[in-house]
Formats: sequence, C-alpha cells, structure tokens
Amino acid sequence: MARYLIRRLISLIPTLLGVTFVIFLLMRLIPGDPAVAMLGEHAAKENVERIREQLGLNRPLFLDSDALDQGDYAGFFDSQYIRFLSRLGHGDLGKSIHRRMPIVDDLKLRFPATVELSMFAMLLAIIIGVPAGIVSAARRNSVWDGISMIGSLIGVSMPIFWLGLMEIMLFAVILNWLPIGGRLSHDVDLTVITNFYVIDSIITGNTPALLDTLKHLAMPTLALATIPMAIIARMTRSSMLDVLQADYIRTAHAKGLRERVVLSRHALKNAFLPVITIIGLQTGTLLAGAILTETIFAWPGIGKWIYDAILARDYPVVQGGTLLIALVFVFVNLLVDVSYAYLDPRIHYD
Amino acid sequence: MTETFPKEISHNLIARKPRSLWGDAWRRLLSSNTARLGMVIVTFFILFSTLSHFFWEYNPRTDLDYSLKLMPPNLFPTEEVESIHPFGTDKLGRDIFRRVAHGGWNSLRVGLVAVGIALSIGGLLGLLSGFYESMPISRTAQIILIGGIGLGLGAISAWIAGQPVQAFIFLALGVVVAVLENFLADKLAARVAFFAGVGLLLGAGAALLINFPTAVVCGVIGLFIGGIAALPLGGTLISSVIMRMMDIILAFPGILLAIAIVAMLGPGLDKGMIAIGIVSIPMFARLARSTVLSVVREEYVTAALSVGVPQGRILFRHITPNTLSPIIVQATMGLAGAILSAAALGFLGLGAIPPEPEWGSMLGDSYRYLTTGAWWAVVFPGLAIMLSVLGFNLLGDGLRDALDPRLRV
Repeated sequence: MARYLIRRLISLIPTLLGVTFVIFLLMRLIPGDPAVAMLGEHAAKENVERIREQLGLNRPLFLDSDALDQGDYAGFFDSQYIRFLSRLGHGDLGKSIHRRMPIVDDLKLRFPATVELSMFAMLLAIIIGVPAGIVSAARRNSVWDGISMIGSLIGVSMPIFWLGLMEIMLFAVILNWLPIGGRLSHDVDLTVITNFYVIDSIITGNTPALLDTLKHLAMPTLALATIPMAIIARMTRSSMLDVLQADYIRTAHAKGLRERVVLSRHALKNAFLPVITIIGLQTGTLLAGAILTETIFAWPGIGKWIYDAILARDYPVVQGGTLLIALVFVFVNLLVDVSYAYLDPRIHYD
Repeated sequence: MTETFPKEISHNLIARKPRSLWGDAWRRLLSSNTARLGMVIVTFFILFSTLSHFFWEYNPRTDLDYSLKLMPPNLFPTEEVESIHPFGTDKLGRDIFRRVAHGGWNSLRVGLVAVGIALSIGGLLGLLSGFYESMPISRTAQIILIGGIGLGLGAISAWIAGQPVQAFIFLALGVVVAVLENFLADKLAARVAFFAGVGLLLGAGAALLINFPTAVVCGVIGLFIGGIAALPLGGTLISSVIMRMMDIILAFPGILLAIAIVAMLGPGLDKGMIAIGIVSIPMFARLARSTVLSVVREEYVTAALSVGVPQGRILFRHITPNTLSPIIVQATMGLAGAILSAAALGFLGLGAIPPEPEWGSMLGDSYRYLTTGAWWAVVFPGLAIMLSVLGFNLLGDGLRDALDPRLRV
C-alpha cells in the first residue's frame, strides 16, 4: 500500500510539471502585455520597460541562448519559466498585477468560499441522488424509476447558469424570499475566523449571521448540486442493478431476509464503490468548476476570481489559481483511487 | 439455407431474414421510447435551425428597433405591437423567436465541429495508445519511434544552438541506435553508456562551431538523447506518453481550460469550437483506449495475429470497427456536452461575437433584465439549450441500450 502510494505520487510529477508548463504557455500566448495593462495604454515607454523588468517579462520564456553565447551559464537558465518554477518551489505564487496583493492572501479568502459552496452542493446531491438511485433500482420500471430517471436526464442536460437565473427569477424576483447573490448581507456582522461563514457563525454563536449565510447559500447550492445529483442517481441505479442480479442477493432473498435488509446490507455495500468514485470525481469538478454558478450569484469564490483575472490579463492570479485548482483536482482523484483499497479488500496493490 | 432441407420439411420452416448488426441495433433503437423521443427532439432542432438558416433571411446587423424594446410575448397583433413576437423581444427590440431559430444553427454547429475535432484526434490517440500498449511493436515502428525521439529532443538542442542541422544529426542517431538493436543488448548499462557517449560527442562537436558554452549545453542534451534512445523502449512508451498528455488536459476543469484557450485565440464561434474540441479530446482518447484494450484480448485478434495479418490492418480492420459502438454513444453524449459548454462560453461573453445570435450569448445579453421582469428574454433561449441537450442525451442513452450487446435478450 505504501509502495503503491509512493509510486502514484511519483507518477504525478510529470503530470504536474506538464500542468505548470501548459498554464505558463497559455498565459504567455494570450495577447496583450500585462505591463501595458497595468499602466494603461498611454504610459511612457520607459515606465512600461521598467515594469516589464520588475515582473521579469523582459527575460526569455524558457532558455536564454544569448546569455549562453557570452558564457553566462546562470543567465542561460534565468528564464521566465524557470523563475516561475523556482518561485513555486518556495511556495510563492506572486502578486496580483492589478490589485498588487499577494495571491496567497486572496486564496485564503476565496478558497474557503468555494469549498463551502461545493461541500453544501455535494451534500445535497448525495442526500437526494443516492436514495433516488436506490429506489429506482429496487423498483425497476416503476413510476418512481421513471420519474427519477427522467429527472436525472433533465438534470444532466441542464445549463446550470440558466437554472441559476430561473432560481433568481422565482425565489428572488417574484417571491422575494432569498437574496440575489453574495455570501452575506451588508447589514449582518460576522467575526471572520476561518472564512467558512457557516462555521464562523456557529463558533461565534451568531444566529442571525448563520441564517443569513444559509439563505445566501440556498440558491447557488441548488444550482451547483443539480448535475452531480443527476449523475450520482444514475450511477447508483446502474450499479445497484448490476449487484441485484448477483447470486448472493438471490440467496439472501431465498433465506427470507427482509427486502430492506437485502438492499441496505447486501446490495448497497457492494454497489457503493463506483458511486464513491463518481462522488469523488464530481467533488473535484465542483471545487474547480463552479465558475458559472459563482458568476451568476456573485459568489466571491475561486472560479469567478480566475475568470475575472483571465479577462483582465492578470497572469499571476490565473497561474496561481489554476495551479491550485489543478492540484486539488489531481489529489482528489488520487484520494479516490487510494480509498479503493480500504473500501474493497478484493483490490490489491503491489 | 432452406435449400439444403428436403422439400417436404422446408415449407414448414420459418426462416428469419438475416439481420446485420447495425440493422439489429437500429430496430432496438426504434423500439425504445426514450430513444424515439430523443430522435424527435434532435430532428426537430436540426431541421428547425437548418431550414431557418437557409430559407429564413436574417441579418443580425440591421436587426434593431428600440421602439419594440423588451416587449412581452404576443401571439396576436395588438394596438401597441403590430408585429407578432411569440417569444417577445430583447433589449434591442429584436424578435427572440427569430434569434433562437438562427442561434440554433450556430449552437448546433459549434457542438458538431467540437465533437468532430475531439473524436478524430482523441479517437486516433486512444486507438494507438491501446494498440501499442498491448501489441509488440514492429521493427519499422520501433525505428520511427526512436528516430522521432531523436528528432524531437534534437530540435531543442538545435534551437538552443541556433543550428538546425543538429535536429537531423540526432534523428540519424536515433535511427542508427534503433537499427543496431542487438548491439550490446545483453549489457544494458554498457549500451546506454556507449550511445550516451556518442550523443555527447555529436552534440558537443556540432555546437563547437558556435562557441564553447553552447557546446557544453548541447553535449549534455546529446548525452541524454543517446542514453534514452539506447533504452529498450517499446509501444508502452507511446501509450504512456499519450495518456500522460491526456492526464495533463484532464487536470484542468474543462470549462476553465476552454476559457483560457478562447482568451488566447480571441473570441468567436470558430475559436469556441476549437477550445471545446481540445478540452474533450481526453474523453474520447480514454474511451477508445480502454475499448481497444478489451477488444485486443478477443480470439479473432489472436487469430488474425497468428495467421500473420499486418499490424496496421489488424488495428483498422479488426479492432477499430469493434470499438465503434461505445464511441458512437460517447459522441452523441459528447454533442450534448459540447452544446452546453458552447452555451456556457457564450454566456460568459466568449462565444459568438455580437450581434451574431447564439443561445448562450443571448442569455448573457439579457439576464441583467431579469430583475425588471423580462423573463421571456431568458426563458426561451435557455429552454432551447436545455431541450436540445436533453434530446442528444436521450438519444445517447437509447443508443447505448441499442448497441450494448450485453443487454440483448
């Protein structure tokens, strides 16, 4: 197991290096000079040059063959990409070009917002998706099966930004029950400790803030949960159907066990492995891909932050944010793989 | 068949007409309710948008009428609004029904082209990866592979030194190393050391014509090229390089990578197609690879191998046709996904360039008016996206049931 884990971690190195390479290259290929973006179109040429030098943009992208010609070996490796990597190695993500704030500080504010939203969405997706899938499989071809399967097909076909807009129309504009966006109303005070507002308001015993936070969470959670909910329901159903055909299920029925016991003790336990995979993969996607939901509900999370930064050509923010997301994504997937060994003793790793 | 029986028996036999695999699948597809519903929706959208595009004239550049700004839907002419707008009008007084019809052409086209890109590139990569993972590599392929490694890595050296000839020197080195596959084959360390030395001399020698520091760097690169080429690399190398590349694409959330690619290429429908296509490549590559890996173990492949059918023919004649059905299903589902992604890009303002109609960008244009009560400008384009995506998903579901032989009764 330990050896398997080490091997998997080593095999991540080329992937992660490739990820940094792709991010770096994409950012440099996006047209527009960040120094000009920072100073404005009409900035003096000397100033632009000075900023370019400060940001290291005057260095070559990968390797400097001019420096090599002069016998300068250190200069040969002193390129934008190598500088980027070595800063990463020191845990330094740089500063935002526009806001001049260290990116790590922004991440500390924004990542909890995204995690909070995706955890709630995942919770909702599991609470509804898994039982729906079980009922569908247990009562195959019944009305319930039909409803939940059509529902889940509609769910996977749903443009979530549109669903979000429809929610706003219904709950915020017509019924006026829920706030239109953001994490917390302006008139509510909350002492921020962990940046997870739900946790913070519980720790400080601040009931109005907790209620307000939950109200703000409701609509984005529903929008974000739709697709994973549908996928989990479908996966649970098909996995349960597979298991329900197994011999030991027939045996369990034959010895007179109650249906509920057969379903929960015998079938669900064995059917759950693929469902857990899907839950894991979807969690990774949620953490990473909440851009649309965050944009619509003005949720100050990491997805919206990166999207704004791409449009504003704020290289360091995009690099730092995307890298973090890719890291989270890759490690969540690794975690899913590794958790197999614990959940299913039949799987051996060597 | 019936002729072989004596006459008195033959007229009692009910002989079923032979059915082809695809004919069988088609019949099953038609017998499924969900698939039929999917086909109806998909056909409707394809006909509706194609006919609108070709027979219903629309010029988005001149379509503008502020006097009809944000009018609610009306099915009959009224005193205020003499024209009929079944879906209402948007912020520029444009008829939403008309723009949904013409936007469909753009949205469906983006989906189709994106899936085409992903399917052709991803499918081919997956086929090659799965095939070389499980087959011994032929000698010619081995020479091409090692030569290619020499050329690729040599290009780096050539670029640093500004000396194009180096790429060809290392190409030649790779080919020679591959041809001399038995040279020192039993002592791997000696073989690697020998060819690494040759690489060092070649790289440094060529670069000495430039200057000494360059020669040092090129020599080091040559050392690596020679060493790598001398290793017993086979098909698994191709396979793992391809799959690592796919892993890199998969490490990014799809929509984020698509946004970054569009930001790099600039906005526009064609750029969106490319971005979504690139992002969906791994999906097809992984599927094709895993299908090939299971098909390769079938007896008919072993049989073909044992009678000496060439590898290329086995790959394209015996394996590829048997991987088609999961790929067709994935392509249909992928179309649904691509339409959704295209709409998402459009919504974020990275799709069609205004005033060109496209479902996603229509939503992006109008959602700010939702709070003023103009629900129609948001409801109808979104409904079009959802229904068309649902149609392709239903069809894909039905196709999977129809093409999956395990479910055959």
